[in-house]
Order: sequence, then structure tokens, then C-alpha cells
Amino acid sequence: MRLICLILMFIASVIFAEKNHDSHEHQGHAVHQNDVYVDGKNYKLDKEMFDKFKKNLKDVQVAIINVQGMVCDFCARGIEKAFLKDIDVKKIDVDLENGKIVIAYSLNKKIEFKEIKEKILMNGQNATDYKLMKI
Amino acid sequence: MASLYSQTRPISYPEGFTLMSHSGIYKDSVYFHYSPSFKYSVGLEIVKDDYFDDEYSYFRFTYLLNRKNTQNSQRNLYFQSGLDPENFDRHFYGLHGDWETRRWFVGFGYKESFNDIEDFSEKYLQFGIAPYLGKYGDLHTWLMFKTKKNSLGDYWSTYPVIKFFKGDFLIELGYNNKTRADAHLMYRF
Repeated sequence: MRLICLILMFIASVIFAEKNHDSHEHQGHAVHQNDVYVDGKNYKLDKEMFDKFKKNLKDVQVAIINVQGMVCDFCARGIEKAFLKDIDVKKIDVDLENGKIVIAYSLNKKIEFKEIKEKILMNGQNATDYKLMKI
Repeated sequence: MASLYSQTRPISYPEGFTLMSHSGIYKDSVYFHYSPSFKYSVGLEIVKDDYFDDEYSYFRFTYLLNRKNTQNSQRNLYFQSGLDPENFDRHFYGLHGDWETRRWFVGFGYKESFNDIEDFSEKYLQFGIAPYLGKYGDLHTWLMFKTKKNSLGDYWSTYPVIKFFKGDFLIELGYNNKTRADAHLMYRF
């Protein structure tokens, strides 16, 4: 009886997860329609998160970094802590759905992808590319 | 008796500290570790062993043998070990690994433990699914099944586990009629 309950619970959770996944797929398309455009090229990013991130920000450089291996909240937390040690970092947020980190730097910061890659590698993930924009 | 519970992110981010507590059928323990880098962690575990009716501690060392990052997944293989500083005959070593996406989790572990009275081994398999995909900073939930065997008990026990985490705090609860409750708390800083 207990085993049957366990199996039913597992099946129910999978069905629930699949339904939830479908709804996220639709949200994913919505996000896709609202990709961020940087230098004429689009870059998939959670629009709601990015709009909230940009709010009250001005005179900053924003780096949007694509990260591999950032599959959970815990994985990203170390990256956030590492970047916040830099006094030129004004704000940071994470888009787990699209595997992106968004960082606002002061304008006087010379941003180099090599430095970003190293910081992320030190945390155990891989930065593959990035886009830069000014706000 | 060392625990299998530290399979949940056994190494923190660089210069990160982690405090864990575990309560299960065979033992209760508190484990504190420091990660100089993402590759390894060192720490101390204090154990109240109900099976052997004993109290002792382990100096522990965990090393990330292999990691594979992709856009949507991460795979890890860890080596873990522990040594009682007051009794070198009491020690353990083992391997554990995991593969996870934001939706799915699969983990396994195998450990050999040695002491003055009776050596034993532990192994487990764990499968999990996230019922929803939370955003960064949200409360995250995993529904899991764990099946494990300790050679002292010589039977497999399979039971559901629920895991919640938010920010730097994690709680994992499991229950079955043979192993009773299994609780694991973790805080990183």
C-alpha cells in the first residue's frame, strides 16, 4: 500500500512538473519576444528581471554574461558574492532560466571578458560570451 | 559512522563556510567545513553514533574530481574522506556524484567506513524533480526518491525526500518506516 502511494505521488509530481514546464515554455516564448537588443544583436534574457534590474540605474555599463553550469540558486550565489567584492560593481542579478548574469559596473571600469571569465571559473562555472551596453 | 548527507553541495564557493546538521536512524551529527576553492573543502564533523553508542569526530576532506558544465546541466564527481584524530583506525573514504538540470536531479554515492568494532559500507541512489522552476532568490523545492543501503542493516530502504532551499539555507526531510525520519539542515556563509 505504501509503495503504491509512493508511486502515485511520484507520477503526480511528474505530471505537475510537466504542466508547469509547459507554462514555462510559454513564458519562455514571451521572453523571447522581448529579447534584449545590444549592438543590433538580440540576447535572450528574462525581460521582467531585466526591467527590474534597470530601474533607478543610470550612468552605468551593464554586462550580460552567458554562464554554463549555473543550474541552481546555490551555484549562482558564489558568483554574486565574488563580483560584489569589486567596488566598481553597482548591482548584480541572475537569470537562472536563461543562464545569464547581469552586472552593472561604474562607467570608469574597464571591463575585460578575461577577468569576468576568471571570476566565474574560480566559482566552478564557465562564462562563454558576454554583451555590453550603457544605460 | 560518517554520513552520506553531505552529498548536497559538499563544497561551497571559494572562501565559503558551511554549517550542516543531520539527524538519522544511526547517528546525529554537526559538520562545519571551509572551501578554499570550488575544488575542495576541509572540515570537522562531530558525531553522536547511536549504532555503536559512541561519540567521536572526523577531520574531513572532500575533493571535486570532475565537473562538466553545459548550458542546462552540471555533472560532478567527488571524492570524500574522513579521519578520527583520536583514533586513526576510524576513518572512511568514498565517491559520490550527481547530474542535475534545473528540472532533474540524479545522484549516487558509495562509502567504505572503518572502525575498531565493525567495518561497513553505505551506498545510495537519488532521483529528483523540481515541480516548478523558481527564479533567483525564490524558495526552491525538490521532490526526490532516495534508495540506500547500509551493510550494518543489510537491506535497501527507499523513501521520499523533500528538499527546500532559499538563499543560503537548505532543509531536506525524508521518512520511511525502517529508517524513521532523516533530517538535514544546511547554512552557507
